[in-house]
Amino acid sequence: MGTGVAANLDLLQGTLDVLVLKALSRGARHGYAVAQWIRLTTDAKLHVEEGALYTALHRMEKRGWLEADWGLSENNRRARYYQVTALGRKQLRIETARWTEYAGAVFKVLRTA
Amino acid sequence: MGRIFGIRRALRIDRGAPDVDRSVDEELAFHFDMTVRDLMANGMTPEDARVEAERRFGDVQGARERIAAIDRTRIGRERRAASLDALWQDIRYAARGLWKKPAFTAAVVGTLALGIGANAAMFSVVDQLLFRPPPLMRNAAATHRVYFMQTFRDKESASASLGYARYTDIVSSTRSFARTAGFAGRKMAVGTGDAAREMQVAVVSASYFEFFDAPPALGRYFVAAEDVPTAPTPVAVLSAALWRTQYGARRDVLGQQLQIGPVVYTIIGVAAPGFVGVSAIEPPVAFIPITRHGSAQGATLNFTDGTWNTTYQWTWMRMIVERKPGVSVEAASADLSSAFRRSYQAQIDKGSKIPPAALVHPRAIAASILSERGPNPSSLSKVATWVSGVAFIVLLIACANVANLLLGRALRRRREIAVRLALGVGRGRLLSQLLTESVLLAVLGGVAGIVVAQWGGAALRAAFADGAAVSGVAGDGRTLLFVGAAALLAGLTTGLAPLAQTWRTDVTGGLRAGAREGTYQHSTLRFALLVMQGALSVVLLVGAGLFVRSLHNVRSLRLGYDVQPVVIAEMNMRGVKLDSVSTIALRHRLLEEAKAIPGVENAALRNTIPFWSTWSGALFVTGIDSVSALGEFDLNAVSTEYFATSGTRILRGRGISDLDTEHAPGAMVVSESMAKRLWPTGNALGQCVRVSADTMPCSYVVGVSENVRSNELSDNPEYYYFLSAAQFHPDVGGLSVRVRGDGAGHADEIRRRLQRLMPGASYVTVTPFADVIGHEMSSWKLGATMFVTFGALALTLAAIGLYSVIAYNVAQRTHELGVRIALGAQLRDIVRLVVREGLLVGVVGVALGGLLALLAARWVKPLLFNESPRDPAVYAIVIIVLLGAALSASLIPALRASKVDPNVALRSD
Repeated sequence: MGTGVAANLDLLQGTLDVLVLKALSRGARHGYAVAQWIRLTTDAKLHVEEGALYTALHRMEKRGWLEADWGLSENNRRARYYQVTALGRKQLRIETARWTEYAGAVFKVLRTA
Repeated sequence: MGRIFGIRRALRIDRGAPDVDRSVDEELAFHFDMTVRDLMANGMTPEDARVEAERRFGDVQGARERIAAIDRTRIGRERRAASLDALWQDIRYAARGLWKKPAFTAAVVGTLALGIGANAAMFSVVDQLLFRPPPLMRNAAATHRVYFMQTFRDKESASASLGYARYTDIVSSTRSFARTAGFAGRKMAVGTGDAAREMQVAVVSASYFEFFDAPPALGRYFVAAEDVPTAPTPVAVLSAALWRTQYGARRDVLGQQLQIGPVVYTIIGVAAPGFVGVSAIEPPVAFIPITRHGSAQGATLNFTDGTWNTTYQWTWMRMIVERKPGVSVEAASADLSSAFRRSYQAQIDKGSKIPPAALVHPRAIAASILSERGPNPSSLSKVATWVSGVAFIVLLIACANVANLLLGRALRRRREIAVRLALGVGRGRLLSQLLTESVLLAVLGGVAGIVVAQWGGAALRAAFADGAAVSGVAGDGRTLLFVGAAALLAGLTTGLAPLAQTWRTDVTGGLRAGAREGTYQHSTLRFALLVMQGALSVVLLVGAGLFVRSLHNVRSLRLGYDVQPVVIAEMNMRGVKLDSVSTIALRHRLLEEAKAIPGVENAALRNTIPFWSTWSGALFVTGIDSVSALGEFDLNAVSTEYFATSGTRILRGRGISDLDTEHAPGAMVVSESMAKRLWPTGNALGQCVRVSADTMPCSYVVGVSENVRSNELSDNPEYYYFLSAAQFHPDVGGLSVRVRGDGAGHADEIRRRLQRLMPGASYVTVTPFADVIGHEMSSWKLGATMFVTFGALALTLAAIGLYSVIAYNVAQRTHELGVRIALGAQLRDIVRLVVREGLLVGVVGVALGGLLALLAARWVKPLLFNESPRDPAVYAIVIIVLLGAALSASLIPALRASKVDPNVALRSD
């Protein structure tokens, strides 16, 4: 899903959801931290528009995958912290398994060619 | 996440919306600040950092709106879930509380069930009569019955009946209607031999079926080409009910033959299930073409102005129309009126001796499809409306009772409520719990009410609809909806009283009250509720009294004949053609046979029956210009022993006798009122009256009988006369038979014995005369039964309500009464103290209720029979009954109070 690839929107959205769930799997973070984490972890190779990221956060909150609450940030400012719910964890497991399978299959095809 | 559940949160829906925007903005502002700070830390200028941050974010405004929209949906959903959660909690809490007090719950549910059940049953009756469109009707709002109005003696009267000629006139000269149809309902013999039964048959034009959205269950309906008398094979359509019950729903019924009346029909279809045509009250078993029936039936009749389909004299059918879209009811009526006027003129042009149009102002109207809402509603629907009002009053009383019970409960729970308030439970939350409790009770009451209505409603519907198949309560959506609404309303209103009580609960006072659950205090609200019940009961009991007196009056009205011991036998020739001589011979054979039946006291020939069939011919008397201007004169041609059979008394002269043979001079017996009307000064006996035409020979008055009522139960004079059956149409009519004891008990035997003499497919029907007259009296009988039943119900509920409140008060005052007894109060004093309270309720209730009843008198008057709506005797009895009930309801707790042991009472604190 590099910059030049016109990827399927569903796939993109699904991918973003997995990234967010993964980013939050180690504990509660605010939106900026999630964006930072994705940027650092993928070495900025995945271009995620931050507007889309926030939309995803709120959508997942609506779905019950995330819970949000106001807390204090590192520099003592009010920030909205997100946390994965049990439902979100289950979703992450499912998506991870699906992604691994998908990537494995594609990789297999590419290797035989 | 801090979540606030419940009502408070639900009430803040509007204030919540701006919060969402603010919260989204704050979150995004934080994000931008952090991004810019980090970028600047990496050496960017503030300006570059801001541009870069915005680039990374993308469409800020769009994202902001999307996020806010998502949040709003989420918050809405959460709130709904939260209030549902709270509601569910309340319901469980209420259910637990009710489960722990089974006696209280049963009392409330039982009371409500009676109130709601009575209303549900009445609703299903009134709905059927006045509101529900005919089942399966395609466009009921635009469909009308046609009524023809004419003015006689300054009084306009409406009639729905018309002849086939009038029907074709109207169909051909109106432009406002998308559809028109003619129909008639007839009781006819269906089947042959022993299987033949008199059943309701719908005689309809082919166009009738187009008014309904009811595709046939099998085969097809008949078409216009089959609805002509010359069609080679007469065809019929069965009702789905008859198809199931008599033909086992077999498909090979198509093509089978079925005799209906005199004609043998070929079955070509089965109507849709539930298709009954325009009258759900009398569902037909089959549908036959109107022209076939008209020609078969009309062939036996003689008209002076044409055959069955061109005569205007024979009015035997009705008409329905469906307005075209865009045609108003007024325009439709105007169109019908001008068509009727043209047709009226055509009738005059044909030589009919009818009054000129300028005199009778003929007009026609498109009225409601429901005949009870048309210009001629039966007194039954008026009574039904009244009885619904009565049922509603019963519901009010039941609600007052339940409110009182709930109030008592709230008073008893004052301490519990105070404790919960002290613990910080919001008042709103507490109120919602109390309301949930009363609504839950009402819902239970509604369910039980359906059972009551199903059980008691069957009797009710039978009373109003003459035992016809009317849908039950439980399976009917409209009635269930009504029950739901009634239950909800009852729950909310009964919940109000305890709510008001709780709202006022004073925390410290409630907590301080100590172990005694609150001290005795006089509750104005409870007193008012009791007075209201008493007053409403008085109104109902007065109504009951008035109707009972009316029924008594109408029953003791001298009709001019006996009813109970008489049965009526009618011949139905069903296509068997006999000449006049053979018909006369058959009538005499039947007469002899009837007299020979054990238990029969007497029998006679007669050709009309009061309230069933009447015959009024023109009369000519020397010296009187126009006899018909003096009123309507009904005749009956009878054989020798008619007066002994009917019990009609001869006041002067003699009755019709053996002397009045075919060739003897014409004989006539006139009723006293007729004698007075025609010869106000002179003696009627010996006078000459010419019957039918002024060229006929004289019939001489040989006797004067008592007055005979033949058309309406009232004190208005009616004129009646008897001729000799040997001299006047000796081949028309049936028998009257007088038995020892009750007529109904002998009807079957008489029918069996007479049937043996009937030739071919012809048959006799035997009807107890009491059935005919009973039908005329049904509205008063119904009114009396319903008012008495509901009045008794109301009184019982009110008495129970009074008892429970007084008993409760006594229990509350145990301490005080103990003190009084300890201080030397006598048993008598204690009883008086308690009873005085109950009687006070009774007296105020009687005064208020009496006043209400007097105010309502004006409206109830037209429903009564020779009875003043202000009859003092009725009022006196009601006052005694109500005060008696109040006295006994308070005496029991009073006696218990007098047995209070001061030692125990004083120590109980």
